[in-house]
Amino acid sequence: MLGKLMKYDMKSMSRAFIPMWILAPVISLLLSFSIRGVVEWANSPMMGWIVNAGNSILMVIMILLFMAVLIGLLVMTIMFVIQRFWNGLLKEEGYLMFTLPVKVWELIVSKALTATLVASVSIVVGIFSGMILAVFSTSDVVYIFAYIWKNFLDSFVELGPVFWINLLLFIIMMILGTAGSIYHVYAAMSLGHLFATHKVVGSCLSYIGISIITSVVENIIGAVMGYVLPDINYYGMSWGLMEAMSSLYLLYMIAAAVLQIVILHIITERILSKKLNLE
Amino acid sequence: MSGMLIQCQDVWKSYGSRPALRGLNLQLESGRIVGLLGPNGSGKTTLIKILNGLLTADNGIVLVDGAEPGVYTKSIISYLPDKPYFAGWMKVRDLFDLFEDFYMDFDREKAEHMCKALQIDEKLRMKTLSKGTKEKVQLVLAMSRRAKLYLLDEPIAGVDPAARDYILSTILNNYNPEGTVLISTHLISDVERVLDEVLFIQNGQIIRQELVDDIREKEGRSVDELFREVFRTVPFGGGEW
Repeated sequence: MLGKLMKYDMKSMSRAFIPMWILAPVISLLLSFSIRGVVEWANSPMMGWIVNAGNSILMVIMILLFMAVLIGLLVMTIMFVIQRFWNGLLKEEGYLMFTLPVKVWELIVSKALTATLVASVSIVVGIFSGMILAVFSTSDVVYIFAYIWKNFLDSFVELGPVFWINLLLFIIMMILGTAGSIYHVYAAMSLGHLFATHKVVGSCLSYIGISIITSVVENIIGAVMGYVLPDINYYGMSWGLMEAMSSLYLLYMIAAAVLQIVILHIITERILSKKLNLE
Repeated sequence: MSGMLIQCQDVWKSYGSRPALRGLNLQLESGRIVGLLGPNGSGKTTLIKILNGLLTADNGIVLVDGAEPGVYTKSIISYLPDKPYFAGWMKVRDLFDLFEDFYMDFDREKAEHMCKALQIDEKLRMKTLSKGTKEKVQLVLAMSRRAKLYLLDEPIAGVDPAARDYILSTILNNYNPEGTVLISTHLISDVERVLDEVLFIQNGQIIRQELVDDIREKEGRSVDELFREVFRTVPFGGGEW
């Protein structure tokens, strides 16, 4: 049933996001060409300043457009997370979803997985667009790609396995962190749903409340960890120690994110199972 | 299990400090068409939403076919809500897909047939449809299931009298005869002819539960007349006129 639910959540998501995901890299590519144009024109004394000015204006327009797409992507992602849960479960559409013969946790997990996917892809598209911009606007494209590829292979050997494991852990941490933030929003809206009136205000207050509790717990754990973990200054800095410490820290962050997801999921699921009130 | 389709015992529900159901008791058998009749704000929609799981009761026992509201009861209840409940981007056809995916008892052919009869284009998006057409789509969805319990919340409130007849005959011709249809409404004269049994609800309690034939035989009057008498309010200022 979870798969079927996700099919519908994915469908509602893809309509809005796929165009943005295509648009962002395309615009950054166009922008990088116009930046190169300006640089090349500026370097050639033969060209008149009028042409140059025209190209500058084009560049400004492209920069604005690029920023607009990135901000649009960010805002759309946040709106999507909030709206698909609020409108999709707690307003009229909830009449349909909560009368389907599925378990409440399936409804929540379907929304959370879809939202995590959307947010993750949006982040990747944002980074990818930035890279396109950086690479294509500066110098010879082919040369840069060759350079990156060569260094990638070299560094793969040079940096050693721990570095790559850490990179993998970092990516997992980012994805789980994103899912944790999404569950933070879900739990806040579910708590807000318990308010008889002013549900939106209640949701915002709940969001702040969860943030405070989370940071207090994090600080306590952080303080404890400070005592438990070895003191780097005592052992002296070395690449191996740095890597080992990074691995530990990343594992800790992953465990914290998992714990956060589990607790917030239970809060959300209990409220929507036991206290659902679609008035 | 006692063979009752719906069992409610001492069910309470408040919205904040405002009580909607006050210790409601109800037992309903299978295989009949029942009118849930009461004035505005008497608790009709609240009762229906508690039965289908959209609201949780503060207190009391609610059983549908012997089970508390949950995945099983949702699979046997076909619900027609009092307002549109679908995402605007969905096409009529997408809704059919959704119902086909989730409800084993959904009869797609029947749904498509009813759409044709009502001249609803399955390729249209929900947001482009008029209010009346949206209601008809929801009716098609609800009545294309072979459910044990149909909960129809004000199915005829928003449509013109000609469409009312069509909707009522659609309900009559399409419901599962072994199931029960619970129709909430305050437009009694329109639905009276299709009802087997009536429930009068007032201030969150069932105050009368009778077979329509009994009302006609014993009291010699129509449900509509009885309703007007039971729920008669004294005009402002009091006195006769």
